[in-house]
Amino acid sequence: MTIASHPYAFIALFVAVAAAFPLGLLLVCRLWVWAFQPPKPSPVKNGIYECGLEAKGDSWIQFKAHYYLYAILFLIFDVEVLFLLPFAAAFNVLSWGALFVMLAFIFLLAEGLVWAWNRGHLEWK
Amino acid sequence: MNATINYAELVYALRPEIALTLGLLLALGYDMAFGRRMSDCARRGVAVLIGIVTLASAVFQTLHTNVPPVGHAAYWFHGAFVYDTLAHGVRLGVFGLSALTLLLIAGSIPHSALRTPHFKHPAEYVAIQLLATMGFSLMAVSNNLLIAFLGFELASLSLYVMAGFDKTSRASAEASLKYFLFGGMAAAFMLFGFSLIYGMTGTIVLPEIARALAVQGPSPLLLVALVMVLVGFGYKAAAAPFHQWAPDVYQGAPAPAAALIASASKLAGFAFFARLLFSGLGTVSGDAINFGGPAGWIMAVIIISAASMLLGNIAALAQTNARRLIAYSAIAHAGIMLLGVIAVRAEGAGPLFYYALTYGIATIGVFGVFAAIERTAPCQRISDLAGLWKRSPFLALVLFVCVLSLAGIPPLAGFFGKFYLFAAALYLNGLMSPAGWLAFLAIAMSAVGLYYYLVILKAALVTNATAGTSASTEKIRVPLGTVIALATSAALTIALGIWPDVVLGLFK
Repeated sequence: MTIASHPYAFIALFVAVAAAFPLGLLLVCRLWVWAFQPPKPSPVKNGIYECGLEAKGDSWIQFKAHYYLYAILFLIFDVEVLFLLPFAAAFNVLSWGALFVMLAFIFLLAEGLVWAWNRGHLEWK
Repeated sequence: MNATINYAELVYALRPEIALTLGLLLALGYDMAFGRRMSDCARRGVAVLIGIVTLASAVFQTLHTNVPPVGHAAYWFHGAFVYDTLAHGVRLGVFGLSALTLLLIAGSIPHSALRTPHFKHPAEYVAIQLLATMGFSLMAVSNNLLIAFLGFELASLSLYVMAGFDKTSRASAEASLKYFLFGGMAAAFMLFGFSLIYGMTGTIVLPEIARALAVQGPSPLLLVALVMVLVGFGYKAAAAPFHQWAPDVYQGAPAPAAALIASASKLAGFAFFARLLFSGLGTVSGDAINFGGPAGWIMAVIIISAASMLLGNIAALAQTNARRLIAYSAIAHAGIMLLGVIAVRAEGAGPLFYYALTYGIATIGVFGVFAAIERTAPCQRISDLAGLWKRSPFLALVLFVCVLSLAGIPPLAGFFGKFYLFAAALYLNGLMSPAGWLAFLAIAMSAVGLYYYLVILKAALVTNATAGTSASTEKIRVPLGTVIALATSAALTIALGIWPDVVLGLFK
């Protein structure tokens, strides 16, 4: 049995390609920077915004982590739209069972919203 | 797709899951309506009670007089769900294990002098645990790669939250994050493998995959898919070399959450894994009977299994932290269960199911004891267990039974679990086969394991708590729920060891 015909040779090849591809890209980036983009920092280049008003202070500031709650709650509506759209598109041909399943789905999502509301997560603190 | 989907059949197939959903909504709704006016203790009690009643009703929905045996399964909803003794047994098993871990909640509240209680939101905890149980139950009946993946992820996402439920503890947050990152990685691997299988066969239903693969035969791409699925599954099951998350999670997670991760999740995961490998990918299994046969997943499973047994047992010898020790022992047990997966070919899924179930029961007992000790003093190092027999003879007795069962001492269930598994592996072709050698390694490693299990028992039963050590000498008052859970798991460990046919008879 030659090495090429060994059943596991393909996996070795697969792993080698998987490793070589990102490393190769990184290497190309390095070469590009080295050849065409020598670093020339200046206050304008290091500014927070490229254009617009002059920024005051640093871009590394603290912001309220509470935003993540809203991001999670937004998912309720996001997922709802995502699944309601194909349901609405095929509404004519669907059975009563499909309607029931969809209502159960909306009910479960709404329960999440009610829970968050009841816990006071919708109030900005 | 045809528009005549039979929703009644879907509802029929998923009755236990629907019961769990309703119970979950009830637990949340009750807590929202009345929780604030109740004392912490009553609130927790009601949440646990709703959880237990829900699991009981799910068991009631599962019980069926005429369960088809493995191999003559009933298929529901266009082959998406399978129903046979394995699915039936695993569903009942995960509901039971989940109920046992729910009962541990009451015991794992540290006294207020130690820390702020970490179960401030018991209803949410119970709801998330019911969600995880639903995921396990879906894994048990899924006959379809997509449903299985949904079940895996539903269970995993819930377990990540449960691992980080103690918001006041850094270790718990660390456990949750590590578990999440490793689990997400595992899900990506598994999904990649599934998508390759779908790409090759054009179907996600397991028996149809088997039919397509019987025509195609093994191909290089299929081997890549198999390796991806095995890597993903290895992460989930904490098999070496994909085990790195396990010690940190077992150490940091609240004890009931760690108990669920170690018990029900293993049972459901290995049951689906065996189903996937044998009813979906059975034609490309390779050869476990002879050396140098055709390539397939059996060789990869054997390697992972051997690595888990070696690493788990040897690394456990060096541990000073009791929970990390149990984690490494879990890695070793995952290796033995992988051996059980191979042995399914000889003896069916019975020995694997029996082993995973009894292992889960014993682990819940151990974590329950740790949780109860934590009511008075931290329980992390092995030396913290010193003098346990004086502080609470009951806890010491339960620990004695469960740890000896994990070590595999007759007449406890752990011994017969190992016995049936090794016997099944040796039935394949005696010692002159890869599976036979693996069984031999497993027997040798069980002897190594005996040492560190006895180290735990020595600390708990022989050593006295002296002034120099960190262990407390305060008497431990064990709450009722924990007493029930611990007594049940110890009694089951003994009873299933004496009458293994109660479980194994299901698969005859």
